[in-house]
Amino acid sequence: MLCEKCRVREATIQYTEVVNGVRTEHNFCAQCASEMDLGQDFPLGRLLSGLLGLGTESPREEKYSQVVCPTCGTSYGDFVKNSRFGCPDCYEVFDLLISDKIKQLQGSDSHKGKTAKNQTEKTERQEERAEAPSDGKDGLEEQIARLYACQQAAVRREDYEEAARCRDEIRKLRTGSETDA
Amino acid sequence: MLKWFEETDRESPNIIYSRIRLVRNWTEYPFSGKLTEGQAREMVSRLEKGMRDFCLEEGRDYDFTMLEELSDLERRALRERRILNGTLASKKDPVGLILSRDERVSLVLNGDDHIRMQFIAPGMKLKELWKEADRADDFINGIFPYAYDRKYGFLTAYPTNVGTGLRASAVVHLPALSSGKKFSSLLGEMSRFGASVRGLYGEGNENYGSLYVVSNQKTLGVTEEEIAGLVEKVARQLAEQEQQVRDMALSSDRLGQEDEAYKSYGVLKYARRLTWKDAMIFLSRMMTGVSDGILKFDGPCPVFSIMLGIQKANLQRISQRPLSRAELDVARAGYIRAELPELSGI
Repeated sequence: MLCEKCRVREATIQYTEVVNGVRTEHNFCAQCASEMDLGQDFPLGRLLSGLLGLGTESPREEKYSQVVCPTCGTSYGDFVKNSRFGCPDCYEVFDLLISDKIKQLQGSDSHKGKTAKNQTEKTERQEERAEAPSDGKDGLEEQIARLYACQQAAVRREDYEEAARCRDEIRKLRTGSETDA
Repeated sequence: MLKWFEETDRESPNIIYSRIRLVRNWTEYPFSGKLTEGQAREMVSRLEKGMRDFCLEEGRDYDFTMLEELSDLERRALRERRILNGTLASKKDPVGLILSRDERVSLVLNGDDHIRMQFIAPGMKLKELWKEADRADDFINGIFPYAYDRKYGFLTAYPTNVGTGLRASAVVHLPALSSGKKFSSLLGEMSRFGASVRGLYGEGNENYGSLYVVSNQKTLGVTEEEIAGLVEKVARQLAEQEQQVRDMALSSDRLGQEDEAYKSYGVLKYARRLTWKDAMIFLSRMMTGVSDGILKFDGPCPVFSIMLGIQKANLQRISQRPLSRAELDVARAGYIRAELPELSGI
C-alpha cells in the first residue's frame, strides 16, 4: 500500500486516530509520519527498530525500510517488523541490508553443509551469475578469509589496532564486491 | 503399532528422545505467509501428490490430513505429542499434515515454511535421524526444487532457520542436576558453545518433570553433522553429569532414594485425583527410580509416554468431552493407574 500523504513510498505505519469515538485509519510511510506531528508520545523510532535491534540511526534505516521486494511486495520495513521474509528473492533484494544482521544472529553469513540438488532454471541462472565474475570473486573470498584469520590472530594477541585495520579492509572488500554485483 | 514414545531406549539413560527438524521451501511459490488461500490450497495439494511417492518409497504407513479438518482439541493433542508447534496448532490457513502411524516421521505442508520434516526417536539417535532426514530430503528435492542460495544456503521464511534449515534437539531428564544451585550458570555455559537449553514444560523452578530440551542455536555457517554432533555432545554431557550426581546420592543414601522412588510409585498407582503438577513431579521421581534400577517391572515402563498422556488435550480426547479442572484431575489419576505396570520382584 502506498503512503496516503506522499503517494510515492510504501506505507509502513498504520496510524489509528480516535476522535470523539470516531475511528479513522491512516497509512503513512515512515518519512511522512515523522514529519507529521502524531503526538509526542508516539515512539516512532522504537516501533521501527523492531526485533533485529536496528539502532536509532533512523534516517538511513527509514530510507531503507521502503525498499520493496519486487517479487512478493515485502518491504524492508515489513521484514524488520516481523523478522520474516516473503519469498526467496527477498534474500537477494535485501542482501546488503541484512547481511550484517544475519551474521549477528547466526554468527556467520555463509552457508556450509548440504547443497540443494535442484535442476531448475533459477539455480542455473544464479550459478551463472555467481560464476561470471568469478576471476575476482574467488580470490576475493580467499583474501577476506586471510584477513579474517589475521584479525582473529590480532585479537588473540590483543593488538586491537591491527585487528581494526583488518576489519576495515574486510569491510572495504565486501562493500566493493557487493556494489559491483 | 507402537508409537515412538511408547518404546523405551535403555542405551542412553536420562536422554528421553531426540529429534531432527528440517525446513525447506519450493521455488515455485512465495513463502507461506505471502500465499493467498487459493495458492496455499493448490500448493498443499501439489506437494501432497508428490509426497505420495516418498511415502511409498519409505515403506511406512502414512496418513494425510488437512489441519482445518481437525478439531481444536485434536490439534492441541498433536501439539502435546510434539507433532505440531504452537503456531501451527492455531494456524487458520490450509496446512497439510502427513504423519506416519508410529508418529516418528511427520511432514507439515504450508506451515511457517512450505515443507517441515520431523524425525523423532526415543533415546539419543541424532546421527541416525539425520541420515534418515538427509535421505528423505534428497528424495523430496528430486521432486520439488528448493529455494537455495549459494551464500545463504536453504532459504527460509525466518532468518533464524536459514542455511541448513536444521534444528536438532534432544530432551534430557535432569532432576538432580537441576535442583543444584549452579544449574542456571551451567546452562549459560552451554549457550557459549552454541547450544540452547530450556525447560520442556516451563522455565526455572516451574519446569515440572525436570525435562530439558537441548537444541542448536545456529543454522547457518555450520554443517548438519556439526549441528547434530554439538547437540549430541551437550545432551550426553548433561545426562552424564546428572548420572554422576545421582550415583553419589545412591551411594551415600540408597534408602532415601529407594524411599522416594517407591513412594512416588505408590502415590501414582493408587491416587484418585492428581493435578498436572503433582503428577509430573511424581512421574519424574519415578523415572529416576526406573532409570537407576530401583523400580523393576516385568516389561518396559515408558514413563515419558505417561507424561505425554496426562496432558490436558489428550485426557479430554480420551473422555470425548470437555472436562472441568476437578474432572481432569480424576481422569488423570485414572489414566496413570491404568497405564502403570505392576512392580516385579518386591
